[in-house]
Amino acid sequence: MRIDPANPVPPTGIVRRIGRDQVPDHVPPELVFEPGLTYGPEFLADPHKFMAEMHGKYPPVFYNVGPFGNMWSVIKHEDALFVLRHAELFSNEDATPFPRDPAEWFYFIPIEIDPPDHRKYRNIVDPIVSPQGVLKLEDRIRALANDLIDDFIDKGECTFDEAFGRPLPVLVFLDLMGLPRAMCDTFVSWAMALLHSNDRQIMGDTLKTIGDYLKTAIAEKQASPDDGLVSRIVHAEIDGQPISEREAFGFVTFLFIAGLDTVFATLNLIWVWLAQNPERRQEIIDNPDKINAVVEELLRVHSVTFSGRTVAQDVTLRGIQLKKGDKITSILPACNFDPGVFPNPTEVDFNRPKKIILAFTVGVHSCMGAHLARLEVKIALQEWLRRIPEFRMKHGFKAEYRPGGVVGPETVPLVWDVALIP
Amino acid sequence: MPSVTYIEANGASHVIDVPIGENVMHGAVYNGIEGIIGECGGGLACATCHCYVDAAWTGRTGGPSSQDETDMLESTAAEVRPESRLSCQIVVTAELDGLIVHLPEKQF
Repeated sequence: MRIDPANPVPPTGIVRRIGRDQVPDHVPPELVFEPGLTYGPEFLADPHKFMAEMHGKYPPVFYNVGPFGNMWSVIKHEDALFVLRHAELFSNEDATPFPRDPAEWFYFIPIEIDPPDHRKYRNIVDPIVSPQGVLKLEDRIRALANDLIDDFIDKGECTFDEAFGRPLPVLVFLDLMGLPRAMCDTFVSWAMALLHSNDRQIMGDTLKTIGDYLKTAIAEKQASPDDGLVSRIVHAEIDGQPISEREAFGFVTFLFIAGLDTVFATLNLIWVWLAQNPERRQEIIDNPDKINAVVEELLRVHSVTFSGRTVAQDVTLRGIQLKKGDKITSILPACNFDPGVFPNPTEVDFNRPKKIILAFTVGVHSCMGAHLARLEVKIALQEWLRRIPEFRMKHGFKAEYRPGGVVGPETVPLVWDVALIP
Repeated sequence: MPSVTYIEANGASHVIDVPIGENVMHGAVYNGIEGIIGECGGGLACATCHCYVDAAWTGRTGGPSSQDETDMLESTAAEVRPESRLSCQIVVTAELDGLIVHLPEKQF
């Protein structure tokens, strides 16, 4: 059903299936698996190893059952491209199931809007988040990265996730949105409650608190426009008409959810890898002109998320019947380890020919923040390695990964010898 | 403002004014030309803004601007020809006023 973005209503007819008792009849029993993706002990022991090894253990398309919902899963690069690029077959309706008040429903825009309306929203923000657009933020991001490093470089240690991985993307996001940097700690606490509480009551309450703040921010930008994204959105026109209050709210709220956690998790994963691979760190330092290839390859092997869709009409994939209403997820990190596309997939190789990586998905819903994320990772690598080229994990570190839809280590304690700081 | 002519695979032709400094992919996407998708937004990451530069213009646009563009052209859905480019990598200049690009039958 085509939804009307300006008149949001809760979706109807959504079927949630949970566990082995709720496998629909059209699913062949031999395709039903319970891999424990995102929560099982094997997954949590080393999520990326687990996802890389899925290629030997599971069929390319299988039916994944579990306590958080049953869904078809694809692990082949080409299948993910097919699913993500055919919005008419695989819809984004109900793809972002955060709890919302049914009486004050709103859509997360643009992710819950399918074509053709989708492009109208993307056009509002694409000039800001294009590769050329984000370059305007480069100097500020670089200064910010250095300010953060200044705070702990002389201590010889830091909890990377708290001291750098979290504040860098949050502060960049606040700058981009045109919101005050003083909100950083508050935003961090909201993001943690919303994305990591695993408690729908807390998630719902937090989303309401965030919504109240954003409504005030929207009102302020309506009165006094600036060049931030919130202002750009609230003053935008859709089909020649001013954007509606519900649309602007859903758009701004979605950016909040999308903009905070993924870069954080990615940086945390990359810094654990850097700390544990000193010779590769040196390779990056010695090849400054390869930095874009380095970023792309590190994003390939450290992709952090998944991309879910609802089957919009009956369709077959690799001869398997998918029915309207089924859920389907592209396991993006597994797709990025597809040996048919990336030979020796777990090897980090900065000299690979450039190919489509799925860190940011593809298709119309391809991540809007991809170029900002790439820039943030690039600047973080450049500035950190310039100032703290030698570092390691704190003694006794053993990675623990948080369960959930954004994969990353719980904490990243780093140490370095202050005498070796250049 | 320079104009760019986009000729779709079915022959439909669109003349679009594209600002100097903007790329040929954005000129299409922002004006509803469906033959170019540009799903990644211009980051040499998706190969869905493939175009064939008209023979009269290849001298001025030149070939792929980087090894990355050459690599990514291998991921396009339609046939790659000597005049193939990823249109996000063609930046409009005064010299390209009147540029003609032909769009492939499919982008994925």
